[in-house]
Amino acid sequence: MTNFTREWHRGPALRVALLGVLISLALVAWSMLNGVAALSPAQQGSDPEANLPFLFAVFIITWAAFFVYVFYVSRKQREMQAEIEALKRALEERDRQPSEQD
Amino acid sequence: MTQLAVPHKPAHVPARGLARDALLVASALLMALTLYMVYFWAPTEQNLGVSQRIFYFHVPLGWIGMVSIIIVAVASLMHLMTGRQRWDDLAYSTAELGVIYASLILVTGAIWGKPVWGVWWTWDPKLTTTLVLWFIYIAYLMIRAYGPMGSQGRRFTSVIALIGAIDAPIIYMASIWWRTAHPALNIGPAADEAEAIGSSRIYITLLVSVIAFTVMYVALLIERYALRKSESDLDELHQRMA
Repeated sequence: MTNFTREWHRGPALRVALLGVLISLALVAWSMLNGVAALSPAQQGSDPEANLPFLFAVFIITWAAFFVYVFYVSRKQREMQAEIEALKRALEERDRQPSEQD
Repeated sequence: MTQLAVPHKPAHVPARGLARDALLVASALLMALTLYMVYFWAPTEQNLGVSQRIFYFHVPLGWIGMVSIIIVAVASLMHLMTGRQRWDDLAYSTAELGVIYASLILVTGAIWGKPVWGVWWTWDPKLTTTLVLWFIYIAYLMIRAYGPMGSQGRRFTSVIALIGAIDAPIIYMASIWWRTAHPALNIGPAADEAEAIGSSRIYITLLVSVIAFTVMYVALLIERYALRKSESDLDELHQRMA
């Protein structure tokens, strides 16, 4: 992942916090939807703002999904780069050893 | 002594980091503009109320979900014709993003459907064909994960992608071909602007939203493609180590 996004997620504490935030957002979205869905259509129809929780639920779910995906790609890229560097070092080391023995 | 060739440039990230960061920043700025327009600039639609604003998320997601399957199909066709790995990498990266967008189309559609139709889901042609698209994406990824490895698996999924692309025009035209509760088309060659868009502010907001989501999609696709290339580099290094 790119430089600034790579810095987002250093350390387990941040990951736990991120997970906590996402779970909280999901719970908020779910409770809002349950609350509004319990209203009758007549009740909803009388208030133009009655459906606001649906809009926020869409907003939260969409952004949570993108945020989780970016986090996943970013973490995987970082891990993979570390593994590639380690393998490169190991290959160079293996490459060097026979020549030293010669 | 055997020379072990290390992939010339395994870390694809730093070489193009600046351009990719710029794309991500552009995407973030466009998204901020979109959110301002959606919540503060676009008027509230009289019949649907505030829930109509879901439209500014749902339509771009739907647009990109359909574009994705076409990209997957074209890349798969190129892979079948040329046998080049990079086309398959592009198809796989796009399919993974496609499943996210298709899932979001279904979820946002269900949330919009509840206040408007009174139900979370109905077997409407548009919804059903979109669900079929989601299953196609899932099938593609599952075959890659659990099906034959190597070139055989790649060919199988390329064929699935080509079959899946047939669904894209069906989804697009569903509200014209069948009686459906889904609103009229808003974007694309068959869009009925006079019927679907009541205000120029609604139309402009939708346009900005589609552009913002598309830019973000391109940024995500580039990131995912870079990751896929890193996976290929890693496989190559593992093979050399063995």
